[in-house]
Amino acid sequence: MVDPADFPILSRTVHGEHPLVYLDNAATTQKPAVVIDAMDAYYRQNNANVHRAVHALAGEATDAYEACRDTLRTWFNAERVVLTSGTTEAINLVAHGWGRAVLKEGDAIVLTEMEHHSDIVPWQMLAKERGIEVRYVPVLPDMTLDMEAYEASLAGAKLVCVVHTSNVLGVRNPVERIIEQAHAMGAKVLLDAAQGAPHSRIDVTGLGADFLAVSAHKMLGPTGIGCLTISQAAFDEMQPFMGGGDMIEHVSLSGSTYQTNEHKFEAGTPRIAEAVGWKAAMDYLAAVDLDSEHQRLLGIARWTAEQLRSLGCTVYGRHGDEDSAVVSFLHPGIHAEDFAHLLDAAGFAVRTGHHCAQPLLHRLGIDSTVRASFYLYNTMEEAEAFVARVAYVLERFGR
Amino acid sequence: MMVTEALADILSEFEDIEDRTQRFELLFDLAEDVDALPPEEWTEDNRVKGCQSQAHIAVRIEDGIVHLRGGADARIVQGLMGLLSLGMNGQTVDVARQVTLDIVESAGVLNSLTPSRSNGFRTMYDMVIGQLREA
Repeated sequence: MVDPADFPILSRTVHGEHPLVYLDNAATTQKPAVVIDAMDAYYRQNNANVHRAVHALAGEATDAYEACRDTLRTWFNAERVVLTSGTTEAINLVAHGWGRAVLKEGDAIVLTEMEHHSDIVPWQMLAKERGIEVRYVPVLPDMTLDMEAYEASLAGAKLVCVVHTSNVLGVRNPVERIIEQAHAMGAKVLLDAAQGAPHSRIDVTGLGADFLAVSAHKMLGPTGIGCLTISQAAFDEMQPFMGGGDMIEHVSLSGSTYQTNEHKFEAGTPRIAEAVGWKAAMDYLAAVDLDSEHQRLLGIARWTAEQLRSLGCTVYGRHGDEDSAVVSFLHPGIHAEDFAHLLDAAGFAVRTGHHCAQPLLHRLGIDSTVRASFYLYNTMEEAEAFVARVAYVLERFGR
Repeated sequence: MMVTEALADILSEFEDIEDRTQRFELLFDLAEDVDALPPEEWTEDNRVKGCQSQAHIAVRIEDGIVHLRGGADARIVQGLMGLLSLGMNGQTVDVARQVTLDIVESAGVLNSLTPSRSNGFRTMYDMVIGQLREA
């Protein structure tokens, strides 16, 4: 595991003297000092706008910004990397930049019931605008995708949008098979890897993913930045959807021409300090053995799930070998919202609610869960303290 | 702001408790004292929108006196209804109107009351105050 001392925030207390036990990593992760320091140093030493000016600072800022892109290109083995504000903007970029250029009335796209709202709503908006058919792959009682229904949904589909790893269940979908079958039927594939990318190295070219959307803040980086990786073939089909500075080649009053590289999709001053911070986070992650960390965290999640079940909780998720360390649960004797407040009262940060995945929760027949999600700095001792607190809350407040 | 003795007393009790868990225990006790709005009377009109739990609150004004009834599946939410009730129930409209959002801050049970955050209590308070203003 990484050294929790690398993360300044983890040494604080909450509500008096309770040590912070941060288990809301699927929402956002904490930042190591190297990320905070890199952003601080950028503003103190290098701050300038990128790509245009010839002065020294502009050159340094441009190099720093593009270094983030280069790092991501290597990390994901991607052909093209567009920096966005996060996963949501990355998916919207596919909807508006690729969808509007390629999809026409009567075309079909395939989504799943496991998607985050950010991979549903942009498509519903586009479907309404363009008369596109949206097909949804159901989630089975074992909390996996109905792959037979998926295969059947592919006929005539132009795009498949699927969450790599569920933010509610931690279930990692069989993306290799999903991509293979989609491509066999002529459909492109967008992977929402907001939850998957923090837990494993994803090789988009090896996988054949046409688009992959990621958020920095879920993998130790700053908020406000993410990326969309794009295959060259898909990139060539796209049209910019946001116009402005930096994305143009030439502007006259009669019309404009656009850049031909990724800048075409990065109108306006980009998130430069955030890119610097994300690069620092990726360098930090590069020194971590993600495979062994994944097994360690999964072990903690499995133990936690088992303990919660023994306390009478229902745990949503299966914690298979490739799933992420997310434990969503409910107890019949206490409402999820009460649970979260009472955990917070002793310093345990968890998430409750629908986790922006209402169709999935509807399929599961519930409207919220309590979710504990573990990441690189979490320890078995924290999980034990968490389970002890859950047991205490149930004994004192459960019905 | 301190409009009723009962509300002042309970807020003073909250302020004397250092441990947050114990504050929730007191809030849960208040949940038991809310005049119940039975689920069959839960409607879209009296639903507290933006609340993670199912919560409904109804205001009735008879002869200038405010009557609050509520129900929620989360005890914290019902406890917050109890807090509002202590300041408003059985009071004149003018007195009830003087109850402000500060009561929750004084009780020290919520981390944020900013409007941008999904916050059931603020919505609940706005629903009740809105009806009192119209009265």
